Amino acid sequence: MDDYRLRQTKQKFGVFWGNFGLPLIFIILVAVFSIANPNYATSYNFLNNLSFSSYVGISAIGMTFVIMTGNFDISIGSMLALVAVLGSSFIPRVGGVVAVMLTLLVACFLGFINGIFVTKLRIPAFITTLGMLFVFRALAFIYTDNVPVYISDRFWLYFGNGKLFGVIPFPIILMGICYILAYLLLRKSPVGRYIIAVGTNSRAAALSGINVDNIKILVFTLMGLFVGISAIINSANLGSANPGLMGQDYEFQVITAVVLGGTALAGGNGSLGGSLVAALILTFLNNGMGLMQVNSYWQLVATGLIMIFAVSLNKLKFYLLGQGEF
Amino acid sequence: MKRYLKIAFITAICLAMILTLSFIGCAKEEAAEGGMQVKTYTNASDITIGFSLWTMEFTFFQNVEKGVKDACEDLGFKYVMIDQNSDATKMVQDLNALVGQGVSGIVVTPVDPGAIGPAVENARKSGIPVVCADIGKSGPVNALMISDNFKGGQLAAEFLAGKINDTAKPLGLGNLLPQWTYARQRGEGFLAKAMELTYNVAANIIVQNPSAEGGYDTMQQILSAVPDVAGVYFTSGREAVGAAQAIQASGKDIWSVGYNGDPEEFQAIKDGVLDATILQEPYYIGYRSVEILKEILLDGKFYENVEIPVDVKLVTPENLDQIAADILEKTGNSAFPAE
Repeated sequence: MDDYRLRQTKQKFGVFWGNFGLPLIFIILVAVFSIANPNYATSYNFLNNLSFSSYVGISAIGMTFVIMTGNFDISIGSMLALVAVLGSSFIPRVGGVVAVMLTLLVACFLGFINGIFVTKLRIPAFITTLGMLFVFRALAFIYTDNVPVYISDRFWLYFGNGKLFGVIPFPIILMGICYILAYLLLRKSPVGRYIIAVGTNSRAAALSGINVDNIKILVFTLMGLFVGISAIINSANLGSANPGLMGQDYEFQVITAVVLGGTALAGGNGSLGGSLVAALILTFLNNGMGLMQVNSYWQLVATGLIMIFAVSLNKLKFYLLGQGEF
Repeated sequence: MKRYLKIAFITAICLAMILTLSFIGCAKEEAAEGGMQVKTYTNASDITIGFSLWTMEFTFFQNVEKGVKDACEDLGFKYVMIDQNSDATKMVQDLNALVGQGVSGIVVTPVDPGAIGPAVENARKSGIPVVCADIGKSGPVNALMISDNFKGGQLAAEFLAGKINDTAKPLGLGNLLPQWTYARQRGEGFLAKAMELTYNVAANIIVQNPSAEGGYDTMQQILSAVPDVAGVYFTSGREAVGAAQAIQASGKDIWSVGYNGDPEEFQAIKDGVLDATILQEPYYIGYRSVEILKEILLDGKFYENVEIPVDVKLVTPENLDQIAADILEKTGNSAFPAE
């Protein structure tokens, strides 16, 4: 009977940790920094951090889908730079509104190419996207002759710097909409179930009639779409699109958020909410350490250790739920 | 499927409406503002200077930071520094965070000068003056302290011409990437002076990998393209040291000049590997940037988009020790690498 109770308690804690572990870490983090530095707890700083978390947060949606299917996309940093320089160079010719739409189309197309290479040429996603990382970056350099594209179109700039009712930064609204749509797609539509099925066991998924290749192409295309949205927001924040400096180490930041959020690298299991909270943790942590005058190298140490700590807690959750060893 | 199409359609319509309404609201808000009103102070102790720095990885930036910090101490200001970690997105986030902290003035050494426009505009709208300490700017700032890079390039060409003394012999240039608009003037000054002195710059190659290895590779390319090159000028410090090592490895007698005055360059000149460098004054750039903010915030002086050139000097084996002693006296830092 005692064993049974212990198992039940373990399971309850596992479920609690699975649902509230990361949000709890986030709240503790914000509380600690707010006590340590009063300037951290201002609404301005909070909204500023939320707004900048969209840079990683939006692409983390696409990466969650990709990793859930058991794949990787490490080309997204270069893709972000290429999409940003292409999109912003359209502005003088077609205007801001059409340029935004064209940018998203181009981004989807680049993701689609990745998906085609992975599925039709049977090249592992890691190799394909590693190759495309070089191709996209080189194309960005070639297209611009390594000269940044300056953006003055107010519609485009609004995506990074606009405020709804003069208060809420527009990137926060966009990120919210992206997460709601992605949640509906993943949890309330057959496509979402197919993504989970492909990631859990692609052979079984194929035998049950799911077109595995099409699902993989779809998730890579969605990855492109979310990178496209991030590229517009980021270039609007910066007021320019720089082919060399944009998206440096971006893929690692996004993968860090997704892994920290509890998505299993082996595929199948994933959490959009986890990815969002992880993106918030990373942004708020960096901001807090910066305001606390923590040396930048120690900031990297702290980020790395927190990631390892959070992933080990995630493993603890599965152990408590009786779904794995610790 | 129809249900999902309906959801997507409704979402797109809602998003378009939000975007349109808030965009119109924003347009009115922007039209109502504009211009800059600086909040002035009477007590130095009420002033906090925020400094956003490219990176603490390189000596040049460490000296800019020391200059800013020392000036804040000397003038009685509080001081907050945030490291951009060579990340343009973080730079913008940090600048906004400094505005949120309510600093009185900002000094920024931007990793991407093209990307500071909106963040600087945001700071200035909040009444916070911004001074760029080197690198460059985009859009209006209060002041930009920038090395006289064109003159530096001219000094390098004059030095090489004086040593080679034969206009038939070709020169080489290891140039910077086109995105560094202000720093590219180092190459432009060199090319203009070389032309004036009737020297031919037979190879003008961009160092694609900004590092000592990049300098080494580029020098090898110059040696392949122009085997009889008599003198080379590399527009950045580490690249120049790499290039000088490639010259030494080739066994050829080629004059070499760098730019920056990094400790590695001082050591290379002392060791006879590099022949000269153009010295920038990062400590002075940082210190003077804070003095300008003091003039704006305490004295009420008007600065709007003012570019202030900072003088550069030629360092050769002849004046190396004297200049190193001056640097030590002014900054407390050795001009040579730490042992």
